[in-house]
Formats: sequence, structure tokens, C-alpha cells
Amino acid sequence: MSRDSNYDHHISIFSPNGRLYQVEYAFKAAASASGLTSVACRGASTCAMVTQKKVPERLIDPSSVSNVYTIIPSIGCLMTGHSPDCKALVSRMRYEANDFQYKYGYPIPVGSLAQRIADIAQVNTQKASFRPLACTAMLVSVDDEKGPSLYKVDPAGHFLPFKATASGAKEQEATNYFEKKVTDLPTYTPDETVRCAIMCLGSVLGSDFRGTEIEVCTVERGGKFKKLTEEETERHLNDIAEMDA
Amino acid sequence: MIILPNIEGDSAYSFSLTTFSRTGKLLQIEYALNAVSNGRLSLGIATSDGVVIATDKKVSSPLIDVDNVGKISEIEKGMGFVYSGLGPDARVVVRDARKKAKSYKLMYGEEKTVTEVVKSTASLMQQYTQSGGVRPFGCSILAAGLDENNTPLLYQVDPSGVFMGWRATAIGKGYVSAKGFLEKRWNEDMGIEDGIHTALLTMREGFEGEITGKNIEVGVLRKDTGEFKVLTEEEVQDYLNESS
Repeated sequence: MSRDSNYDHHISIFSPNGRLYQVEYAFKAAASASGLTSVACRGASTCAMVTQKKVPERLIDPSSVSNVYTIIPSIGCLMTGHSPDCKALVSRMRYEANDFQYKYGYPIPVGSLAQRIADIAQVNTQKASFRPLACTAMLVSVDDEKGPSLYKVDPAGHFLPFKATASGAKEQEATNYFEKKVTDLPTYTPDETVRCAIMCLGSVLGSDFRGTEIEVCTVERGGKFKKLTEEETERHLNDIAEMDA
Repeated sequence: MIILPNIEGDSAYSFSLTTFSRTGKLLQIEYALNAVSNGRLSLGIATSDGVVIATDKKVSSPLIDVDNVGKISEIEKGMGFVYSGLGPDARVVVRDARKKAKSYKLMYGEEKTVTEVVKSTASLMQQYTQSGGVRPFGCSILAAGLDENNTPLLYQVDPSGVFMGWRATAIGKGYVSAKGFLEKRWNEDMGIEDGIHTALLTMREGFEGEITGKNIEVGVLRKDTGEFKVLTEEEVQDYLNESS
């Protein structure tokens, strides 16, 4: 059965050209499953992440729809992809982070958490009995030693530190937007960082938002990871509108 | 006694995914080697007073924080690994090598030699070509270290579990022409400084775009110090400036 070369599309074994099709399909699923786009960027002393919030039906309670998760108070996470897989990965991240705290007595650095989750994702690409999870995680924190840190973990088990990044349906366009700003980003104040992320998403989706249509979250040095309230989001949106006016 | 890892926890997959074709080939291993050749170039040179390993560290986007990204890993103080192929798989291999080296030290009170580390890494790679429910690793490793007589050694370990000692070798995209280049330039009297320059020249040959201290990574093991060190961006740039 695994001699059948068509199996390389069904489980994570190598195809003749050395590719892992299941992993590549997982990427496609992660990008298009929810139809949403998420962006994240790192400023001088803070990190900001923004994602679209789409409530599929009017009867759904909007407060139960969210892609923003706190892992430990100093580390926040924005998940993009198939939402049951996202929740499973978050659950595992919380376990790993708290296990680290229990064993070693201090909060896990975000880079170590990213590596741990990436290693777990890699196992899914090598064992036949698990499929890769169709989700990408963006982790932010302000690290004691490294300062503001942003990591992205993908279904293949790659993890990299970023100055700014995006994932989801319009990942490429958002990344292009950030590439133009890459030299300015390290100078941005907390407000500028948040606004840059919001403006990136706005330019990529080609529309203005209301405070209910996006989720914005930030983490500051010494502070906790937090999700902005609707009022705080509206304030930023108004500031942006005034800047353009 | 070899402790077999519990790779096949799941009985639904208690058969090997790597099986013989009618012509006697193990196709999954061949495909894994293709995955390695799709990866970015890495090379190594063993000289009389040290070993140098180098790799193409080009990242796909200027948004990546490249200063905190590395492909060369220290296994022990006097040993380094570099890979070509799938990065996530290489992390597993590096972690295993580090654990085995440390537990050897704890058990016997002396450092595990690079030859023995390479043997256990090769054995790990082989297990994943035969055990149930797993695919082979998609990375080859170049290992730099000193043996018990302080001779500098360079080894290559492939996904099949084959390992060989090399005077100079290359893996990843463009490895054939890189190896040809190295064959012409390697000689027995080469010292480590010559080795580093030759390694950089070889990397420059097949490189797309300009080679700088930011887009390549170089690790050096010197016989006199016995220490493996990854060169800083500035050090690499100095060497590049010298040779141009």
C-alpha cells in the first residue's frame, strides 16, 4: 500500500521529487480554512497582532468567537487556520508552557515555546498515524533578554523569529506591505506599532473596519498580553482615519 | 544493549512505510535524498589543523529576524553539525545527538568522539527507514569533530543511515559542482585558514546574488583550541573581504 506511489498524497511520506505533499496540503488548509487573514509586527518595545473577526451568523454570541489566546500572561498567540486544530494546538501550548514553569520555576521564553511547538508539529510530518495540524501560530511576547519577540510556527514544524509577518488568505499581500516598512518598524512606539498592523490589514483587505470586525492584541515590556477592547480599537481606527484625512 | 525507541506506539501503523520495490530499491530513501538535494547548499572541509563547515543561510523574506536564525548547531564543545534539507527534521537529529553525547559523558566520564556520535546519528536515521509508521529523515548532516588522537574529522550522514568520513564534501542544491570544485582545491597540506577561504570560494561559486556575512553561516573547529565555534557575521565578512 505504501508501495503504491499515490499514497504519498495521503500520508506524510516522500514523493519521488522529495516533497511531502501532506505537509503542503496542510499549508493550503491553514491558509484558506477560515478565509481570514492575520498580521503581526514588532516595534521598539511592543508587539501587536491584528486579525479579522467574522461572526458567521447573527445569532452567534460574538464574544465566543476569537482567534486570540493567552498562553501564559506574558505570551500571547494568534491562531490562523482550521479552528478545531487551532484550539488543539493552543491547549498543547498552554500545557507545555505551564509544565516548563513547574519544572524550572520561571516562565517559558517565547522562543523556547515556539521551538517546542514546532518540534511537536514536526512529529506529525514524520509519523504516519498523525496528520499535520492545519493551523499557523503567531506567538508574541516581550522577552527579558531579547526584547519584543514575534515567532511564527507552521504546519511543517518550521519556526522563525520575525520582525513582522502575516498568515491566512492574504498572507502574501500583507507580507509585501510589511516589507516596505521593515526599516521603520524597530523605531515604532506602541501606538505606531498597533496602527501599522491595523493599516496593513486594512490595505490588504481593501476596506475600513469597525471595532467589531477586527481583533487587536498587544504585549508590552513588563506588562501582560492583552486583547484591546472595542473602545480602544475604535480609538486607534479613529486616529488612523484622522491621519489620512 | 541497544534500547529501541518506541517509535511505533500506534499498532495501526506497525508496518514499515519504506519497503522494497520489485527492483530491490528502497524508494522512500531515494526520495528522502532528493529532499536533501532540494535544500540549500552546505559544505565541509577537513584540514590538518581544523575542520570548517559552511552553509547557505539565505532566508526567504527580509521580514525574518535573520540574526537569530542558525543552521549550524554545537553538539558538544568540540563538535558541530550542519544540515541540508528539512530543517524541522534536522532539529530532531541534533537533539538526539546532543542527548547521546551528554549521556555518554555522564556514564563514562569522557567526551564521546565525533566518530561515535556520527555512528549513533546514522543508527537513528536507519531506524526511521525500517520502523513502523514513520518516514525517513529529510536531511543530511555534516559533522565536524576531533577524534581521540585530536585528528580533525569531517563526516557526512545521509537519511539512509550511511555515514562516511570526507576530506571535503558538499550536500544540498548544487552539491555536484561544489564537490568538483572542492576536489580540485583540496590538498593534504591545507591549513584551517586556507580551508575557510576555500569553503567561502566554493560557496560563492554557486551562490545566487551577493554572498555576505548575513546570508551564509560558517562554523570552525580548530585543533589547537579543541573548540567548535560559529563565526560571527563580522568575522565571516572579514574573510570574504580578504578573499575578494
